Amino acid sequence: MIEVQDLIKDYGSFRAVDRLSFSVAEGEIVGFLGPNGAGKTTTIRILTGFHAASSGQVHVAGLDVLSNSLDVRSSLAYLPENVPLYPDLRVQEYLRYRAAMKGVPRRKVRSSVDEAMEKAGVTEMRRKLIGAVSRGYRQRVGLADALVSDPPLLILDEPTSGLDPNQRAKIRDLIRALQWQHTVLFSSHILSDVEDVCDRIVLIHRGRKRADGSLEEIARLHGDPELQMEVRTDAYTLPSLLEGLPLKDEPILKQLGSSWIDVRVHLHGGEDGEDRFHDQALDLLDRRIKERQLPLRRLHLHAPGLEELFASLTLEEEAVQA
Amino acid sequence: MTELARPSIDFPSGRASALSRLWILTRKELWSFLVNPTSWLILFFFYLYRGIETYNLVLALRDGGDADVFGMQYLAGSSTYWAVVLLPSLLTMKAFAEEKRTGSLELLMSSPIQDHEVVIGKYLGSLLFFALLWLPTMLLLLVLQSPLFLDVQLSLTQVSVGYLGLFLLGSLLVSVGIFTSSLTDNQLLASLASMLAAYALMVFPPQLAGDQTTVDSSLLPMVIEQISVIQHLGSWFFRGLIDTGHVFFYVSTSLLFLFLTTRVVESRKWR
Repeated sequence: MIEVQDLIKDYGSFRAVDRLSFSVAEGEIVGFLGPNGAGKTTTIRILTGFHAASSGQVHVAGLDVLSNSLDVRSSLAYLPENVPLYPDLRVQEYLRYRAAMKGVPRRKVRSSVDEAMEKAGVTEMRRKLIGAVSRGYRQRVGLADALVSDPPLLILDEPTSGLDPNQRAKIRDLIRALQWQHTVLFSSHILSDVEDVCDRIVLIHRGRKRADGSLEEIARLHGDPELQMEVRTDAYTLPSLLEGLPLKDEPILKQLGSSWIDVRVHLHGGEDGEDRFHDQALDLLDRRIKERQLPLRRLHLHAPGLEELFASLTLEEEAVQA
Repeated sequence: MTELARPSIDFPSGRASALSRLWILTRKELWSFLVNPTSWLILFFFYLYRGIETYNLVLALRDGGDADVFGMQYLAGSSTYWAVVLLPSLLTMKAFAEEKRTGSLELLMSSPIQDHEVVIGKYLGSLLFFALLWLPTMLLLLVLQSPLFLDVQLSLTQVSVGYLGLFLLGSLLVSVGIFTSSLTDNQLLASLASMLAAYALMVFPPQLAGDQTTVDSSLLPMVIEQISVIQHLGSWFFRGLIDTGHVFFYVSTSLLFLFLTTRVVESRKWR
C-alpha cells in the first residue's frame, strides 16, 4: 500500500528525512514512531502530497505521489496532528462537505456521513459547532472525517494525543476494528497505544530509519534484556556468580531485608539468534547458584518494552555525539 | 529491496469532477461567510453607513436637489469607495492565512483537489459574498427611482452597468486579497496589505494623472488611464457606458492575481 524508497527531504540545508525506505502492506496497521523532529510529519506530508520529496520515490497504492497526486489523495485519508477543523461549521455540516469533497457520490453523502459519525461515536454531537465540542470529540470528528470516504489507506498523525485514558481506549478500539478493511499508518508518542494497536513498527530518528519490524523482532535486534534475580548471598560471592556473563552495565544491587539481595543488570542484546545465547547465560547462572547452594527467590530475564527500546534507539546516538 | 506494487486502481471512493469540486468548495466558502458573526458585523456597518448616506441623498432631493444626478450620487457616494477599499480585504483575509495558521490547509490539500481549484473556489466564494452584499443596495436603488417613490427615472442599463463596474473592481480586489492572504499566516497583515493595495489603486492614478503635464510621454497617460479605477467607475460604468478595454483590464488582472496565488500555494511543496 505504501512504498517509500530512499526518500530525502531537505529544508534548505537541514535534512529532515534522510534516505528513508519502508513499506506498508495492505491491511497492516503500522506504528510510525520517532521523537519530536524525527521527520515523521514531514514523511507523512510527502505521502499526502502536501510537500514534495527532494529525492527518492514514494508510491501509494502503486501510484507515484507526485505524478498521480489526485488518485493517491483519493485513496487515502489523513488526520493531521492538531486536528485542524473549521470551528464555525457544525459537525454534520462539516462532514457532509468533506464527504462531497472527497468524491462520495451525492446520493451516498448522507449515509456515509451517518455511518462515519456512528463509527467515530460523534452522532450525538452532529448539530454542535465544531468550535464548541471538547478536544476528545474534535479528535473523533477528525477520525469521522478520515473514515467518511472509506479510503483504503488511513494516515493518522497522533490520533490519541491530548485525550484522557478512556477516550484513548475508544480510539484504539476503533483503529483496531479498522484492520483488514483499511491499511493504517499510525504515528504516536504514546507508546502503549502503539504497542497495543500496531502489527509492526517503523521507528525513525533524525530522518533515518532505526528499526522496522514487530515489537518482538525489534526487541530481539535492538533491545538489551534485563536480568532480575533475588538471591540470598553477600557482596563477596556475587561477582563470582556473574563472572563471564554478557553484562552490559554495572549491576544494581538492593538489599532486601536481612540477607536477600535484589540484582538487576542488563545483558548485551544485539545480533539475531541471541535468544539461545541468553538462555545459556541463564543456565550458567542457575548452575552456579545451585553449586553454591544459595537460596534463590527469583530469576527472570525481562525483555525490553517499547519504551525502553524507544529510548535506547533514539538516545544512544545523542549520547555518542555528546 | 521489495518490488514496487503495480497499479491496482480500484478506488472504492470515487472522485468528483473538477467542476463539482469547485462548486463544493465555493459553496462551503460562501456558507462560512454566512455562519460567521464577523461577516454580519461587516454587513451591519456597511448598511448603516450606506443607509445614512441614502437618507441624506433622499432628503437633499426632496429639498430641491437635482434629480438627474441622483443615480450618480447614489452609486458614487463615499460609502461606495470605502466599501470597495475595505470589503474585499476583510472578506478575503482569512482565505489562506487562517487555514495556514490553524493547519487546516494541510487537511484540505490532502483531499483530491487541485491547488488552482482551491484558489478559484475561495475567490468565487468571496466574490459571490461581495456581490451578495451589494445586491440589496441595487434593489433599493431600483425601488427608490421608481415613480412610486422619487420618480427620478434612471435607466435600467445605467444601474446594471454601474453595478457591473463595482463587480469587476470587486473581482480584482478580491483576487488581490486572496493573493495577499496566501503570502502570510497572519490575517491582519493580509488584510492591511490588500487594503493598502486597494487604496493605492484608488488614489495614485488620479494623482499621477494630475502630474502628467510635466512628463512628456504618450505612454504614461495611457497606462494611467488603464489603471485609473476611479475614472473607470465615474466616467464610464456609473454613466451606463462600457469600454471593453476596461472589462479586459479587470478580468485579466483578476486572473493574474489568481495565477500568482496558485503559484504561492504550490510553492509550499518545494520549500
